[in-house]
Amino acid sequence: MKITIHEVAQCLNLHVSTVERWIRQGRIPIQKTGNGYLFNESALKKWAAMYRLPFLIPEKVKSRGYVETLENLLTAMKRGGVLYNIKGDNVETALKSAVENMAVLSKTSKKELYQLLLERERLTSTGIGKGVAIPHPRDPLSDALKSPVISTCFLEKPIDFGAVDDRPVFVMFILLSQSIKIHLHLLSRFSFCVRDNSFVEFLKTSPDEASFFAKITDFEKQLDRAET
Amino acid sequence: MRIFQSWRYPANWTIFRLDDRLLLILVAIIVGNCSGLASVILNRALMAMFNWFHHLHHYWWIFVLPAIGAALSSLFLEKIVKEGAGHGVPEVIYSVSRYGGLLRFRSSFSRIISSALTIGSGGSAGPEAPVVISGAAIGSNIAKYLSLNDRQRVTLVGCGAAGAISSIFNAPIAGMVFAIEVIIGEWKSVHIVPIAIASVAGTEISRILQGNQIPFSHRLFNISQMDIFACVGLAVLTAAASILLTRLLRSMDKTAKKLPAPLWIRAAIGGCSVGLIGLFLPEVLGKGYHVVQATIEGNFSQGLAIVGLATIAKIVATALTLGWGGSGGIFAPCLVIGSLAGLTYHHGLALLWPSVPWVNQGCFALLGMAGLISGMLQAPLTGIFLIVEITGGYEVILPLIIVSAITTSLCHYIEPAAYYMKELVEYGHLLRPGTDARVLSDLNVSELIEKDCIAVTQNMLLRDFINIVKKSHRNYFPVEDEETGHFMGIIHLDDIRQYLFNPVMYDTVFLSQIMNTRVEVVYPDDDLSDVIRKMDANRLFSMPVVVNNRFIGLISKGNLLDQYRKELMVQTSQSI
Repeated sequence: MKITIHEVAQCLNLHVSTVERWIRQGRIPIQKTGNGYLFNESALKKWAAMYRLPFLIPEKVKSRGYVETLENLLTAMKRGGVLYNIKGDNVETALKSAVENMAVLSKTSKKELYQLLLERERLTSTGIGKGVAIPHPRDPLSDALKSPVISTCFLEKPIDFGAVDDRPVFVMFILLSQSIKIHLHLLSRFSFCVRDNSFVEFLKTSPDEASFFAKITDFEKQLDRAET
Repeated sequence: MRIFQSWRYPANWTIFRLDDRLLLILVAIIVGNCSGLASVILNRALMAMFNWFHHLHHYWWIFVLPAIGAALSSLFLEKIVKEGAGHGVPEVIYSVSRYGGLLRFRSSFSRIISSALTIGSGGSAGPEAPVVISGAAIGSNIAKYLSLNDRQRVTLVGCGAAGAISSIFNAPIAGMVFAIEVIIGEWKSVHIVPIAIASVAGTEISRILQGNQIPFSHRLFNISQMDIFACVGLAVLTAAASILLTRLLRSMDKTAKKLPAPLWIRAAIGGCSVGLIGLFLPEVLGKGYHVVQATIEGNFSQGLAIVGLATIAKIVATALTLGWGGSGGIFAPCLVIGSLAGLTYHHGLALLWPSVPWVNQGCFALLGMAGLISGMLQAPLTGIFLIVEITGGYEVILPLIIVSAITTSLCHYIEPAAYYMKELVEYGHLLRPGTDARVLSDLNVSELIEKDCIAVTQNMLLRDFINIVKKSHRNYFPVEDEETGHFMGIIHLDDIRQYLFNPVMYDTVFLSQIMNTRVEVVYPDDDLSDVIRKMDANRLFSMPVVVNNRFIGLISKGNLLDQYRKELMVQTSQSI
């Protein structure tokens, strides 16, 4: 592989002018000829090892940590679907029936998810106020999902969720994601929506899928505008 | 056309693609020969001038001769080649430590001519230092012609110096040790091998052209234990002499600078005074090797008072010649003063304890020389090896080491910097390899700049700023003027953290209200040691770098440490 002097600087995590100075001072086994630089990559690696300097090729650094593309709410919500009239009198039964109705999950992971959700509820309630709850497992599921899922579950009747403002919860957004980073990303976007009181009022009407997704699309646009 | 081009760029010859060490050894031979030749030329010139002026010595007006010589040499240096007066060794050391050994081509002959004029006409100075700078300049220019890198050039500068000293004294080990101890200051085999080769080449050239003779041969000495104890006293005397010489040189220099006259008139005044001293004590004139020879052989028969007077006269004459602007080195005067001091000490001993069978006066003269060289250069090894080689007297090695060691320590105690280094240390120019000052001088601000800062404008609301903070990686945000782009100030997150969580302030506070406008800034060509001093004085972790009133990046201690460590690792590990 042919690499340039700039890439050498990148590999050593140095400024190009430092590498050029080292060449001039004869500290690095690179020779300058009239129109360019002459060096041998393996000799250079050997040299770096001798001086215990880190020599990492940037591409390798990148491929090691897999790249996460942060998804938007809308795709995750479409994947999770909107569920209506979820039955249940308390937290456990409501979660149970909601999990049962989630189409994206296999049978075993439904069981696992239910346990994880209960565990999480035991720590603190996920009812974030205004009648909205966002049940989620603390750690990602064992058969990791490839992409995040948000299931919107409108309850048959409001139930006591032990929420921060003690108001009964009428809608749950079950939030599953494959990493903490994506979880936080989706959570922050979602909390932006819930902060808007008119959205909560809108949710109370148990809107149909199309108008619900249209509303979310609106919010996404606002969010994107704020970020740029 | 191709052949022509290949001649113009010798760096492209395949021979230089060979092993790096082999190349240096080959070039070292050439450099050693050239600098050896330079010293032979100076030696011949001095001999010729001595012969021309010898028969004039009985005229009364002879005392103006050193004045004419010094004035001419000063004129030559100032007007024709435009180089500074003095002997040139500090310039070589400075160039080695700061500019990778770059020296001007004209340095390779300028000091030879000027010192020939000064010394040949009777000025009290030595031909060695001028030869050192010539040799060093030859090495540097050969390296430049072959477009070698800094490290190789420094080695070749050392080779030039080694070849010159080896050739002029016919002393290969002394040349080698001098080059490493004084000029390069770093004991590494990458330097030592080529320098040793150059010493051999330089010595060989001088032996071929001038014959293999030991400059100051002597009879055998029988040294008893008493003499070794007596050496301690001699060391104190030589230390005192070298400190006197150093101080006198400096004060003469200062007095001369106060005189409102052109340089050549100052040099003439100095030369004239030396000539006047020379009327009464002709021993002080010229490089004075005949005096050294006479003392070592025991033929210097004057009594204690005369010898003591001659010692002081030689010190004064040297200070007058060099301090007032003559050109020449300190080596030869050191040898003369040292031998005279040794002789004085011997006479003094003989006077106090006449019954003790002291070793003959030549031995003390020899030890005195070693003491003075070690004291002036504060380079004990150079002193020891030089005296052993130029006198061929290995049997005096024990007292020699004692005198050298004690004199060096005493002089170091009183004058912390050696004569050659003094000016460099004063201006902070002595940058020995592997030291903090050297690492910092090699790094520069532009290599440390971090550019991933997000600039904001002064009329931005805090709310908009918080959105920027969300996306940033750094805690510092430069504030720029919207229209001109000029740097206004900087926002550090630590300073405004409390406002960030207060939503009331989001829409009421403009960035111009919370930015810090009284910031210390750095310019890209600032000295890094000054930058660090500023950081430490103000307890700063980062400072903005500004060019033409525009912010271009940030310099932080974190990145500095990273780079500093890499630089130190690359500079100090053994061999390449």
